[in-house]
Amino acid sequence: MEKVCVIGAGSTKYGKLQDNITDIALQASVDAIESAGMQPKEIQAGYISNVFGIADKQVHLGPVIMSNLGIPEVPSLSIESACGSGSVSFREAYANVAAGFYDAVLATGVEKVTHTGTEWTTTYFSYCSDFFYEGGAGASFPGLFASMARAYLAEFKATEEDLAMVAVKNHDNGLLNPKAHLRKKITIDDVMKSAVVASPLKLYDCCPFSDGASAVILCNEKFAKTHSKHYIEVIGSGRGGSPAALQGREHITTIPSTKIAAQAAYKMAGITPKDVDFAEVHDCFTIAELVDIEDLGFFEKGKAVEAVRQGRTRLNGDIPINPSGGLKSKGHPIGATGIGQVVEVFDQLTGLAAERTVKDAKIGLAHNFGATGASCAVHIFKSV
Amino acid sequence: MRLEQAALFTYSKVYKLLAKEEFINNAKVGKVLARKCTKCGHFHLVTTYFCQNCGNKTFENAIIEGKGTIVTYTIITVPPEGYEKYVPYAWVVMKLDNADLRISGFMGGIKSPADLPLGTKTKITGYDERGIIIEKL
Repeated sequence: MEKVCVIGAGSTKYGKLQDNITDIALQASVDAIESAGMQPKEIQAGYISNVFGIADKQVHLGPVIMSNLGIPEVPSLSIESACGSGSVSFREAYANVAAGFYDAVLATGVEKVTHTGTEWTTTYFSYCSDFFYEGGAGASFPGLFASMARAYLAEFKATEEDLAMVAVKNHDNGLLNPKAHLRKKITIDDVMKSAVVASPLKLYDCCPFSDGASAVILCNEKFAKTHSKHYIEVIGSGRGGSPAALQGREHITTIPSTKIAAQAAYKMAGITPKDVDFAEVHDCFTIAELVDIEDLGFFEKGKAVEAVRQGRTRLNGDIPINPSGGLKSKGHPIGATGIGQVVEVFDQLTGLAAERTVKDAKIGLAHNFGATGASCAVHIFKSV
Repeated sequence: MRLEQAALFTYSKVYKLLAKEEFINNAKVGKVLARKCTKCGHFHLVTTYFCQNCGNKTFENAIIEGKGTIVTYTIITVPPEGYEKYVPYAWVVMKLDNADLRISGFMGGIKSPADLPLGTKTKITGYDERGIIIEKL
């Protein structure tokens, strides 16, 4: 297998964007290509992740993006895997470069949904569930995670205030990220007083619906060395699955696909969770971050709350979680999120993270899943 | 051999369509139509083709009483399209009393967590445009 590197990264701001889906995707793609010090003609394949292109009248995004980059002849793959689309797309790009099929490829994720309104997004997001049992019985996405939250709070004697601490921490980080969607300091009280969306989750426990795009260039080591001084290496890649419906899981407070993907990625990297300096994890709701950091092996089952209370996951803690602000504050353009996490890891490990830099970081992890964790990918990166 | 496999596949496709309809008909009378693996005895909901436990493809139908207890739930205040008129309502996961199976569905009339402590006894009472209907016993 070829050693795979990330040599370029770009993101639009996440939030409510005016441009159409193609233009948003192109802005991030061009930034990534330029940051890699390469020409579009050197791209040999494109991996384009998106879920609701239909909302902005553009599906089959791959060829449209390639054409606008002046490389219509380059093959592309348009990928949907719910909120995990970006990381799944990254994995496909990684696998193809590792296998030696291509020297350099583009992975771009994009989403444009804020113009559709809350009812449309709530309804269409519910189609990502196992619809017969979940969306088709009135469950919204916040509702599914709220069900995980109720079970978690009961099992581990945690409180709604504990969930709120995750939101407060991620907003503190997002304040330092110029591209974050919700750049606003909040308090536990603000979270507790926000409107209930799906009990026990309140508005400030939930990530926003965001527009945005992120893009990265993956390549083999030879290509990296001849194009840029600033690149990182992919040292672990893992994927996993879980029963699609929550009812199919014996334990509702853990996400099997995260464990499977993480174990595979740690094994490939030859490291343990203790070796990871920081992680971008899938915090679509506050409860998800607690479950994630246990399933990723940073803390024992049921101990995440204590770690959060002690500040261990803060930017200056021993394992900073979501230095970018996470989905909660940075935003969640679902097709872009998994790629956006890699952009953050790239920025952190190449000295571009400015005020939110994790001190002395050498190894970063990105964890992203689809739906309630029915699909998941974990990637581990090392500075070069 | 190839012909035999093709015949089996066609059969299971037809079987599955009928099974879903039968599942709904059973829910309407408060029962859960499940599949019990003929090899290892593992229970699945009727929409499954292969045993999750042992990979076996043959099952026998098991009609289980739709009674159980609440494992977890949420109370929805911001609903998907079509559920506005039911707000607030609960979406619940219940564990069946008579099989190692959980099943989720819609429960009306729940306004606050005080209305539905975890462990509450519940039963399936029907199936309509809201999905599988679950009520307190």
